[in-house]
Amino acid sequence: MIQIQNLIKAYNKEIVLNIPELTINRGEIFGLVGNNGAGKTTMFNLVLDLITASKGQIISKGINVRESEDWKDFTGAFIDETFLIGYLTAEEYFGFIAGLRKMSKTEIADFLAGFTDFFNGEILGKKKFIRDFSKGNQKKVGIVAALMGKPEIVVLDEPFANLDPSSQYKLRKLIKDFAAQNGTTFLISDHTLDNIADVSTRLIILEKGKIVRDVPKTETTLQEVEAFFKPVVEADVF
Amino acid sequence: MNSTLFKLAWRETVRSAYWGKSIASNIGLGFLALYFSLSFLFLGFAIPTILVKDFPDTDPVSKFNGIVLAYLAIDLIIRQLAQKLPTVSFKPLLLQNIHRKTIANYLLVRSLLNFFNLLPFFLLLPVTFKLVAETHSGMATAGWFLSLFILIFSNHFLAIYLKWRFNEAEYGFFILLAGLAGLFAVNHFGIIDLSGAVGKLLDLVLVYPGLSVLFVLIPVLFYFLNVRFLLSRMFLNLVSGKQKAEQVRDYSWLDKLGETGRFIALELRLIWRNKRPRSVAMMTVIMLAYGLLIYRGEPGKEIPEFLFILGGIMIVGMFSISYGQFFPAWHSNYFSMLMCQRLKMKQFLQSFYMLVTVVSVACYFLTLPYAFMHTKIIYTHLAMLLYNLGINIPLLLFIGLYSKKRLDLNQSSVMNYQGVGAMQWLVGFPMFLIPIGLFYLFKLAFGIIGGYAGLGVVGIIGILFHSVIIDFFAKKYLKQKHQLISNYKNS
Repeated sequence: MIQIQNLIKAYNKEIVLNIPELTINRGEIFGLVGNNGAGKTTMFNLVLDLITASKGQIISKGINVRESEDWKDFTGAFIDETFLIGYLTAEEYFGFIAGLRKMSKTEIADFLAGFTDFFNGEILGKKKFIRDFSKGNQKKVGIVAALMGKPEIVVLDEPFANLDPSSQYKLRKLIKDFAAQNGTTFLISDHTLDNIADVSTRLIILEKGKIVRDVPKTETTLQEVEAFFKPVVEADVF
Repeated sequence: MNSTLFKLAWRETVRSAYWGKSIASNIGLGFLALYFSLSFLFLGFAIPTILVKDFPDTDPVSKFNGIVLAYLAIDLIIRQLAQKLPTVSFKPLLLQNIHRKTIANYLLVRSLLNFFNLLPFFLLLPVTFKLVAETHSGMATAGWFLSLFILIFSNHFLAIYLKWRFNEAEYGFFILLAGLAGLFAVNHFGIIDLSGAVGKLLDLVLVYPGLSVLFVLIPVLFYFLNVRFLLSRMFLNLVSGKQKAEQVRDYSWLDKLGETGRFIALELRLIWRNKRPRSVAMMTVIMLAYGLLIYRGEPGKEIPEFLFILGGIMIVGMFSISYGQFFPAWHSNYFSMLMCQRLKMKQFLQSFYMLVTVVSVACYFLTLPYAFMHTKIIYTHLAMLLYNLGINIPLLLFIGLYSKKRLDLNQSSVMNYQGVGAMQWLVGFPMFLIPIGLFYLFKLAFGIIGGYAGLGVVGIIGILFHSVIIDFFAKKYLKQKHQLISNYKNS
């Protein structure tokens, strides 16, 4: 679904991302973990053509994202709160995105009805602009908007951050169900290892811009990933 | 007071975006400051002579005292528009071991360092030495000066108190305007001679200089009002703004206009729900009255043609210029989201073009009554309307390509230079100078009416080609998108 070839992103000669070769398959829930500055958001921004690569290319469903805009037809994304329009209500924002994604009014209603549980009664029907929402609720709006129009690829940067514990569980299920129903390819990053290990079918660890582990999901994935990040901490403690 | 706080203030000033602003903005502001300082200084030296010449019968000092109140009222309005609140974010301070009262005092003392508190002295000092000291004893002059000094700072504290209040309730400013207008009327029609009363009070100070000490009560009162207000507001939930159910206006009827309509709906919501674009819209309305000033002219004198061109651009095109100069930065806060959507750049630009066109045409019709002053306004404004739509808007789209700064939507726009780059300062000139130059060129060849017709024709050509122009810019904007995204992220 997505091929990354010889990708290098450098700022002032400092290489922040260097991926010689990576293929993400259709229907994969691709989990990206790594410490701050590992290059997770950089990679997502490159996939969305929000920044330009210093070298190399990204082919999304056969389309070079640098050269054509057609990837936008099948890609949804939520990177951070700058993806929200603060002065709209949640309904207006969903309506705006839905319009861009050619959904009809009834389709919007049907679509949003599927998220009643996730919204927990705090999103819709509030006479409140998104800028006045709590961080967690803003995130919910952004995630759901990214799923509008059933895109084939969904990019979510740290979707679990700022969510309350029960919403985190709901989101895990939501992503897995959505992928199972629609065959969607998800690209997700996060810092909470058990969330990302639970939700993804393949895990990649980025460190200083390089892929250091690439493991398919098994019973032991979580331990493996935890083991990778842990030693440093233990050395500090004991 | 805590000296660390002032160290903090120093760092805040030195490192703030204020100094980090583009050199062009700083030079522009510097010029403004210099201009006003010199004007006030000049006025200060001129006033004694003017008063003696124009009112030979009255004592010039008490005449001057008589206008002090009017000055203070105007000063209060200008401060409301242009003076910045001491904006130090006290959020990080709240968690520290500092008394709330200390923070409040610090904010207020810090607010004194303001150009508006310096400016009046350019006028006051020459008046004191040239006018008052000539005819009064040193003691009397000192007392008089002290009173005015105190009055200026009273106005300062009153202004920021009101400004804090108006921050919570925007309509307050209009109540203030109405109130001052009411006082002016009361004064003007001689019901109560307010300015005369203040004048008499100041006359009295000249006789008994000791009285000036009593004036101190006024700023102290306002100071404590400020402290009380700040203490009641210094909580996190109030810092981040009030939480109330918003009046949500429905613009869904615009969806019927199709894709472009959806973007126009977005622009309308943007304007209506954010302080800064809202004040731009307000300026447009206020500007409609600008013609009363520039088209009035002096009896027996012809109004120079360039004023009609200037008026045409300013009055008919105010919205397109003031709104357009920040296109597409109005959408800077969520620009990267837009760039991830299946959105046709062309529609994005077109909706802006349509919005500006509709408002400009509306402004044209609203300003037609000026034809009662000068019949030619009917065609001068029409020519400028066409020119504006045909040439100036494409020019604005061109400038938008190089937009550098993210816009903070929730600040008022008057004297607000956040997000203003060198381009915005430079762009003013061609927008006004090119049409004036073109006009005189056409006038040379075809006469006055031909000059306006020429401008109109140039505009019509631009309008006829508008879809080609928009296509061209759509491509340019797509090429420029990474630059714009990174500009908005880093500012």
